[in-house]
Amino acid sequence: MASMEGVMGAQDQTQVQQQPRVEKLNLAVQQQLNLESVKTRAIGLYKAISRILEDFDAIARTNAIPKWQDILGQFSMVNLELFNIVEDIKKVSKAFVVHPRNVNAENATILPVMLSSKLLPEMEAEDSTKREQLLIGMQNLPISAQIEKLKTRIDMIGAACESAEKVIADARKAYGLGTRQAPTIVPTLDKVQAAKIQEQENSLRAAANFGEGLRLPGEQRHIPSSLPMHLVDVLPAGDGAHITDTSGMYPKNAPSNSINSQGTIPQSLGRSVPSPSAATGATSFDNTTTSPLPYANSPRSGTNMMNTPSPQQQAQVAQQQQQQQQQRQKIMQLLPHQQQLLAQQQFRQSPTPGLGQVHGQHQMQFSQPLAHQQFQNRQLQSGHVQHSIGQSQLNQGNQLRTHLSQFTGTANSTLFNTAQTSPNSQMISNISATMSSQSHLPRVQFGLSGGHAQRSHASQILNDPMFNMGVGNPSNMMPMQQQQQQQHGVQSGFGNMPGNAQNLQPGSVALQNASQNPNFQQRQQGQQ
Amino acid sequence: MECVVQGIIKTQHVEALEILLQGLCGVPKESLRIHELCLKSAPVLGVVASEVRLLCDLEQPEPTWTVRHVGGAMRGAGAEQISVLVRTVVESKASKNVLRLFYALGYKLDHELLRVGFAFHFQRVARITVTVTSVDKMPKLYAIDDAVPVMPGIQLVEVTAPASSENYTEVVAAISSFCEYLAPLLHLSKPGVATGVVPTAVAAAASLMSSGGGKSF
Repeated sequence: MASMEGVMGAQDQTQVQQQPRVEKLNLAVQQQLNLESVKTRAIGLYKAISRILEDFDAIARTNAIPKWQDILGQFSMVNLELFNIVEDIKKVSKAFVVHPRNVNAENATILPVMLSSKLLPEMEAEDSTKREQLLIGMQNLPISAQIEKLKTRIDMIGAACESAEKVIADARKAYGLGTRQAPTIVPTLDKVQAAKIQEQENSLRAAANFGEGLRLPGEQRHIPSSLPMHLVDVLPAGDGAHITDTSGMYPKNAPSNSINSQGTIPQSLGRSVPSPSAATGATSFDNTTTSPLPYANSPRSGTNMMNTPSPQQQAQVAQQQQQQQQQRQKIMQLLPHQQQLLAQQQFRQSPTPGLGQVHGQHQMQFSQPLAHQQFQNRQLQSGHVQHSIGQSQLNQGNQLRTHLSQFTGTANSTLFNTAQTSPNSQMISNISATMSSQSHLPRVQFGLSGGHAQRSHASQILNDPMFNMGVGNPSNMMPMQQQQQQQHGVQSGFGNMPGNAQNLQPGSVALQNASQNPNFQQRQQGQQ
Repeated sequence: MECVVQGIIKTQHVEALEILLQGLCGVPKESLRIHELCLKSAPVLGVVASEVRLLCDLEQPEPTWTVRHVGGAMRGAGAEQISVLVRTVVESKASKNVLRLFYALGYKLDHELLRVGFAFHFQRVARITVTVTSVDKMPKLYAIDDAVPVMPGIQLVEVTAPASSENYTEVVAAISSFCEYLAPLLHLSKPGVATGVVPTAVAAAASLMSSGGGKSF
């Protein structure tokens, strides 16, 4: 504030002196410096600084967080203003002498030193040494030469300073540090670069968030032979599993891995195999005979066969369909009565809900399979099988029995015809080739249960004639039970059918064999 | 639920960002190397396909698996006003045969990527995680050793914090204020919104990298 006072004092003095010495000084000084404006500016600066100090006081009292951005801005303003004022005064400082008005204890000691024009002794010594250094080679030259040399030196130094400043300014611009006051020019990227970066950014964000551009096409989605460490024991590598690319399509091998219990890969679940493949049939048949279904209960007890719980049925059906496909082929080659028994047992074990549309015929069919079994058992030499099968028939409660009733009597040619038209014509013709009518039914069911679409279709096929028959001839069932001996006759009624069947099924082995193999029976039971 | 913002930064400034984060978070950085598999299933329930992400952390000596399901984001006028994305997320650790399980369930691999970088976890109102990773893609299935960056010059920065429906406003505020500290180097926004690079990034990176620090006139 001493300098401020000094400035104001100088202003006052010059103002006072302006009146007596009007002409000379004022003109010269006024051109360089307008004292009035300097005074105004100084006052303004003083007010700004005091305002900032008040703000700081308020902030300190309320413990608020100062907004540093604003405060720094104000500081820079104040700084700039002071700098400008000082610069302006420096230009004319030589014209003024600043001295305090009063001599008091404060400035009594320093005042003579400040007012003297003689240099201090230390300063004098410094001055002389510098002068010697400067004129070290030029002492003996004339003065003008010395002046010239000094001038060139000054010029050189000036040039060096300018180049240094230029370098610094360039470096500042390169680093974007801006000028001293404030970075007025914000470094911006040129449009091309900005667009390119925008594009890159969008694709990166899309890739990270949504996986755009990361999806491999189908042909590249083969599991490599060498998996990374963390996937080695996780993935089923090496079994040729392929991950298909089309969305919504389940990988075909996934179910095969899970349902592969029999060791064969189904080409499609539930589809009947039109052409028998003897090789696979042979092997699979062996497999099925030796390895019972995993879900089935003990194969020995007939009752357990009937009581398979329904939640397992679907899985069973899937399993059994595989087996049945293989078995069908085998059945072609089997003896007719063996096929009947086998089919019936399989039929019993795979109840299909789609066929459960007929409910009213339970009792009627009940006797039918029993009769059939009894008929078959006649050929058997073991009586206990008959007994067990009879028991199993009694316990059976599924709707498949309803279809058995269709084949009672002789008037099932319609059924036979409709059955012929179904895709499992092989099975049905095979069935027709058998001696007993009841064997048709399980075979038909058996074949038709293989496909979902076929089930309802088959049930509808079977229902109509069945209803006809059931409604029309409810009593036909009963005689079958008692007429076990007469089943020969019944069979003879269909005697011509095998002939037809053979026409339909040229590839089938002769089905007229009458020999019964008890081992086969056991094996059949073992399958289930 | 989680609050998340994303941003990009040029690869040459990643070191400076690391220095800045080190100073701000006060915790040492953790290396990150995550193999992310995104599995999708055919829509069995409803219209939308189900998507699940499996993250395998390869940095540990024993790889650990995490299952992650990202749900829908918060919507509405309030959601549009805040600059942070709030979305439901379910995460769980899983055993290493989780991939096989999902394949058996019928999911198929939609895409996979590898994230390599570092992360900072610290606590400031909420537990905030900042990850700076290079997103890499694999030319062949599961070939993580051959992974190349999707965009070589740009890395992805993600700031996330778990939240619940009661306190998500505070978590959002915490994330926003933290992101302001990163303003000189990068700009963060909701995951679907593009930001571009920040023009002061060069200068800020230079000042962070210099040993003296700060500008002196």
